[in-house]
Amino acid sequence: MSIKGGYFKRYLQVNLTDKSLERRELPDAFLQKYIGGRGFGAKLVWDNLKKHDFKINPLGEENLVVIAPGPLTGAYLPSSGKNSFVAISPATGLYGDSSIGGGFGVELRQSGIDALSITGKAPELSVLYIDNSESSIIPMPDLEGKTCLETEGIIRERLETQTAHIATIGPAGENLIKFACVNTDWGRNAGRTGFGTILGSKNLKAIVVRGHHDIPVYDVQALAAEANKAYKYLKEHKYYKLWQQQGLMNVIDYANEKGILPTYNFKDSVFSKIEQINGDTMLSDYKIGDAACFSCAMGCANICLVKNGKYTGTVIEGPEYESCAMLGSNVGIDNFAAILAANQLCDEMGMDTISTGNLIGAIIEGYEKGIISLADLDGKDITWGDDDAVLEMIRKTAHREGIGDILADGPRRIIEKWPEMNEIILQVKGLEQSAYDSRAGSSMALAYATSDIGAHHTRAWTIAREMEEGQNWSDNDRVETVIYHQTLRPLFDMLGVCRLPWIELGLNEKHYEYFYQHITGNQLTLEQLLALSKDVYDLTRQINVRLGVSRKDDTLPHKVHASPALTGPNAGKVVDKEHFQELLSLYYRSRGWDEDGIPPDGTESKFND
Amino acid sequence: MSRKLTVIPEQCSGCRICELVCAIKHFGVNNPKKSAIRIINTYPHPVMRMPVVCSQCKVPACAQVCPTDSLHLVDGVVQLDKENCISCFKCVEACPFGAIYAHEECDLPIKCDLCGGEPECVINCPLGALRMIPEHALGEIKRLNNVLSYTQMREIEFYEKGEKKVIQYAEIGKEEL
Repeated sequence: MSIKGGYFKRYLQVNLTDKSLERRELPDAFLQKYIGGRGFGAKLVWDNLKKHDFKINPLGEENLVVIAPGPLTGAYLPSSGKNSFVAISPATGLYGDSSIGGGFGVELRQSGIDALSITGKAPELSVLYIDNSESSIIPMPDLEGKTCLETEGIIRERLETQTAHIATIGPAGENLIKFACVNTDWGRNAGRTGFGTILGSKNLKAIVVRGHHDIPVYDVQALAAEANKAYKYLKEHKYYKLWQQQGLMNVIDYANEKGILPTYNFKDSVFSKIEQINGDTMLSDYKIGDAACFSCAMGCANICLVKNGKYTGTVIEGPEYESCAMLGSNVGIDNFAAILAANQLCDEMGMDTISTGNLIGAIIEGYEKGIISLADLDGKDITWGDDDAVLEMIRKTAHREGIGDILADGPRRIIEKWPEMNEIILQVKGLEQSAYDSRAGSSMALAYATSDIGAHHTRAWTIAREMEEGQNWSDNDRVETVIYHQTLRPLFDMLGVCRLPWIELGLNEKHYEYFYQHITGNQLTLEQLLALSKDVYDLTRQINVRLGVSRKDDTLPHKVHASPALTGPNAGKVVDKEHFQELLSLYYRSRGWDEDGIPPDGTESKFND
Repeated sequence: MSRKLTVIPEQCSGCRICELVCAIKHFGVNNPKKSAIRIINTYPHPVMRMPVVCSQCKVPACAQVCPTDSLHLVDGVVQLDKENCISCFKCVEACPFGAIYAHEECDLPIKCDLCGGEPECVINCPLGALRMIPEHALGEIKRLNNVLSYTQMREIEFYEKGEKKVIQYAEIGKEEL
């Protein structure tokens, strides 16, 4: 084993309380075992948990947040612009991570480090500035209350830099709402599990990075040859142009057609006004340009502008599928311009569009059902598709005004206040479910229940496969597919690359073995890399187990078992409770965990290196 | 036939593959900041992603300021005489487009050489935002668009063998006549 490239072999350790900035070595054994991104994060978070005897307040100074690209980030290969954020999540109180695309992680690597870890709390609102080998903490208390985009603009002027990449938090992060996100590159977010909240608790308004170092690559020519093959494959794919034109917006029609589109807080799974919010509408009336993350030929992002009506002038990079579904059909909004406005407001406030759309949908249904009163809503009623009321609710949540103060604390607080909302809100482990209905697919339900961060589709997205396989798909295949996804998809997050070329255009995962080998000079095979990823899944499970998680927490939202979609191809379908428990047992056995979902003795010692 | 490297900014997604392949070709390293092409992003007003490229000017501002006469237009390319260059970077400052670059680790200014006629950036741009266009065709698209802006495009739908088709035609604005 020897690592000849791919790493600077050091990370920057920041403590905001005592203003220490220290570059620390990363030994080869660490690099080989944890690879990067989520792997680095999980290990450093684990070490920190042990140091604090497994008692960490997610919003306390002791919570350690790791920002880590991977060895492939920034390299010449398809879609290498990914970067992970890892910490104990304020939304779930458990292991949390979120990844961003764009160019922030590339710039972070070019500053000469493989990762950044932050603990402590700055005495006043501050900015962390990493400029090549030099780093500093700059107090900027006057940025208080500024939106994410304003903040980025002001910092660019103040630090005289057009080329730096900047991660910011908005008012939502400062106000510690539990699903605040970190915004980079004018609108790319580390959205889930509350990283904006954590930075807010640390008084860290922004992280600015600029660097010019070569990204270490062991064999550049071999990498370029392999990358060219991969780019060529993508270019010849029949859906390549569709992805460039519509990006993730093409999923809207797909999800509606298959009956998995969240509609009216998952009361339904098809939307009758679909043609007003789909990719074709975006193309004909709103899209003004393409946008792509670093080195991505698919370029799934769109730049949209509203050219007339009350939202004229709204311009965003987006929406992507999740934002469009959760702020659109899930709250009944059929006006694409209003979806753009809601998305822009979330970006500016720095809050996650998935959680926001999920919770507002739940509030509307709760009000409809009489669980929430007009007085609870501060006297202002809200109904499906009322865009003014939805935008107002976003604003109030970001600023913790009135009912917004309850929304800001997430599903657990809402259920605590109105216990009947437990049957309305779709969440697992305190994280709001993302935009794929799982009632029609028990594998997708299993994916949500066993995801280490809560009900998010990032770990496993098996719904499309399940739709193809249908009822005849065996439980064993369901479980194995979920586990394979939970192994391969996190590997992308460890390598620091995007999974879309694989999952959407079928780029063979074998390419990533060659990319890894040419970049690091280390001859790990795909199977070995997958085994390491699976180990990291054991590690994140072990973190959660230490924080109290067991089978009792690997549950599904009430609706998934009990209230089916009303119309569409999956009308009437729910996930059977007993069947789900069987799947769960099968899943634990396959992973080598016990009946209660606990990894075997000795798991911890594997990570005590 | 002389060709010019031309940018169609409306097509650019800002992916920076051009920067990567340029640096790999000329320096053999994976470093987008050692490239002779850069994507500039502006946001939100205006929203732009614009590749900045060397125009290989026929009256090059860079050559005019060069104190050692190290920049010369040869076969349509402004070439840097690396032996003669003293790395004063006057050319970097003089270029009206900002299309020559400096990097702290590089002794010489980073100047586009069009890769000998087949630029890597053009070959690898996934959206066709970079093109090599014959000199006589420069401006043709703008001319066409300008002409079309004087007309109003109309559409009629019709059926051919049961299949719906659309024909577009230009109608001269009658109200202005």
